[in-house]
Formats: sequence, C-alpha cells, structure tokens
Amino acid sequence: MACQGLQKGETLASLKTESDGLKKKLEVERGKLNDVELHQVAEKTEVLGALSIKTRRVLKGHGAKVLCMDWCKDKRRLVSSSQVRTSTDLWTREHGVSLPCTWVMACAYAPSGCAVACGGLDNKCSVIPLSLDKDENLAAKKKSVAMHTNYVSGCTFTNSDMQMLTSSGDGTCALWDVESGQLLQSFHGHTADVLSLDLAPSETGNTFVSGGCDRKANVWDMRSGQNIQSFESHESDINCVKYYPSGDAFASASDDATCRFYDLRADREVAVYQKDSIVFGASTVDFSLSGRLLFAGYNDYTINAWDVLKGNRVSILFGHENRVSRVKLSPDGTAICSASWDNTLRIWA
Amino acid sequence: MVTSAMTPTTNSPEALAESQEVLANAQLFERGCPKAAMSSKMQSSGSIAQARRTVQQLRLEASIERIKVSKASSDLMRYCGEHAKNDPLLMGIPASENPFKDKKPCTVL
Repeated sequence: MACQGLQKGETLASLKTESDGLKKKLEVERGKLNDVELHQVAEKTEVLGALSIKTRRVLKGHGAKVLCMDWCKDKRRLVSSSQVRTSTDLWTREHGVSLPCTWVMACAYAPSGCAVACGGLDNKCSVIPLSLDKDENLAAKKKSVAMHTNYVSGCTFTNSDMQMLTSSGDGTCALWDVESGQLLQSFHGHTADVLSLDLAPSETGNTFVSGGCDRKANVWDMRSGQNIQSFESHESDINCVKYYPSGDAFASASDDATCRFYDLRADREVAVYQKDSIVFGASTVDFSLSGRLLFAGYNDYTINAWDVLKGNRVSILFGHENRVSRVKLSPDGTAICSASWDNTLRIWA
Repeated sequence: MVTSAMTPTTNSPEALAESQEVLANAQLFERGCPKAAMSSKMQSSGSIAQARRTVQQLRLEASIERIKVSKASSDLMRYCGEHAKNDPLLMGIPASENPFKDKKPCTVL
C-alpha cells in the first residue's frame, strides 16, 4: 500500500498519541458499564448436577493425528481430516470414503451435505462434491476455491453451498464464491496468523468472529469487510472462537490455558474459565444447545465442560491419549465429537 | 483412494523443489500446527498509513453503543433458561432415546 504524505499537523507521534488516547477511552467506556460480574448475576441460577456424558464411540481409521472435523446436518455423517487424508465417515456403517485432499487443517460440510470443503498447507481451500458411487473419481471433481498466501486454518460455508469463508496464516480472512472461485470480500486487521473463525447464527445477521496469534478476537461485517469490534484479553494465541447460540456472545480457547466469554452488546469479556490445575493450552471450544455448557479441548488430552454462567468446571471427559484438536456439537445437540492427535475421533453423549 | 500428487517421479529441479516442499510440510505437520507463519511479517509501527488506519479503527470501536453487563448477563441467563429443557447434554436423555447406545466399535476402512 502506498504511503501517503503527512497531513497538516499530523505526525507519526501525534497519531500514536491519538490511538493511545482512544484505547484508553475504549477501556473507560467499557468499564462504565461493568456494573456486575456474570457469575454474580448467575448466583440465583441452580447449580448443575453431574453430567452423565461418556464416550459412546471411538472412530479409528485415521493413521495420523486428526486435526479437524465437522458434522453433516443429517446428524449422522462426519468429515474429519488428518495429516494423511480427509475422509467422510459414515459412522453408522463401517465404510468410510477417503477424499483426495492432503495437508488438511480445516474441513467443513456443505449445508446440503453434498460436498465437503478442505484446506491447509497447500494455501488453498477446495470443494469436493460427494457421491454415493465409491468408484467415482473424486480427485477429478475437486475444485480449488480459496487461494491464500499462507496456510488455511479454518473454513466454513455460509448459509448455502454457494459461499465460503476462510481464515489463514497470512493474517486475513476471506469470503469466496464457490462456483467461480471469486474473492468477494477480504478482511484485514489481524497482525498475525488467524487460527479460527465462526459464523454468527443465521438469525443475527451477517457477521463472523475470528481469533489468532495476535491474541485478538475480531468481529467482522461480512458485507462491508469492516472490523466492528475487537477483544484483546487473552495472554497468548487464540486457537478457536465459537458463537454462543443466541449470537450475542462468543467464547474463545487459548494457549494461555484459559477459555473466555465475551458479550457483544456489552462489548467486553464477561467470564474467564480457568483453574490453577489447568496449565496446558486450550485448542477448541463448543457450546451445548442451550449455551449453558462450554466444552473445551486441551493439550493435556482432556475435555472440560464448564458452566458458562457460573464459571465453574462441571465435568472432565477423559479418554483421548493425546491432544484434543477439535470438539464439535452435533446438529441436534445430542452428542459432542472430539478429534485428537491420538489418531481417533470420539463421540460423547 | 488417496491421490499422491505430492510424489515426484523425476529428478528435475521442479521435482526436487516439490519434494523439498513435501518434506517441509511433513515437518510442519509433525509439529501439528504451522503457527507463526506471519511472525516475520509483523509490521513495525513505523508506517503512517497504518497508524492512520489504527486511529480510524479505534474511533469506530470507541463509538459503538453498549449495554450494561447486568443487562447482558440477565439476557444470557434467560436464553439458557428458555432452552435448557431442550438441551440433551445438559438434561441427559434416557438410554432408550440415545442414538449412540449401541456399543459396537466402529472403524473406518
């Protein structure tokens, strides 16, 4: 970008002073409305009893670390990706279909269930149409949609099979037209790798949230490309961001061993989920259907279930034998799927 | 069926570069996460255009309308309360309704 000349009276120093002043003002404005803590308001809610959640399925078959997974809207199929390949697992049967995509870090089902997007170290995100014909040459049908200048860390379809959002190690997010591969909008603002993104629930309009190695979580307007809100309270990389089901808030998981909860209308962090005994980074989060529970996967191989409102841990899910890379709620809310570096996926219910 | 597009079959310079890229990717993948790709691109604060962008962005953020945390919290609690009974993981569902109750192990071929 060409460097414009200085305007009258404006110097780098004066701009820095102005931005420091604005940051202070932002802090003050946010602080004025911090009249009470979320967990205090939540004291009148009943304490949650023990959860009866345990492993119901262990899906083996990947020969390497499983990095990502996504559920199909039909609630029975999953797509999962590992270092070696991407496969859709029809978990109710015993056959899986392997897809021609390597170095995959992100994968997502299309809303129709008829295609899968996957991307990673090839700096691209490709779409593969699915077919019941096992002899179909899927490699020939694979189509590159997104092109970044560094690895693709996250991808999701928007509300149809026609558009896709991606996040990248190149520090940007982008919105793409799947059919033409055209870049519709790009989102600049992060100053380091973007590691995760999540689309707002459809009722709340066209926004999404992203998180990255600059420790920031940014909320974006999809149409204008504008960064609407920005949150910087984590002390290390944000590995995952996820909207609360109402769309008014989101949670994040970070290498600083905490998960945090941000309310968008109050424009601030309203809860921190942490314990002295939890010292390993959190890599992934997802909410239960009502938003009362937050499931978080950690690098110490566990999944912790947190009471979102009261802030305490409700349950620990043991089982994986290596880092948990992804947790995701099934579309009907009856189960959580977790992906791990132990080469397996687990279904918990 | 996995396409191994990454395996070069000749000794040309392109093939060599490709195999080096495969090796680099494999090493990145071994670590599990190729983060900090941008660390070398971390911008210094020296650019006027960037400083101006930062000021404009902060002005926007400072000017948005906000509500009190007490109001935000009670709204969050109300949402949880309204949807709690439909949350299977929160409520627990009887084994007869649990689609995952079959304990047969499942493998991917």
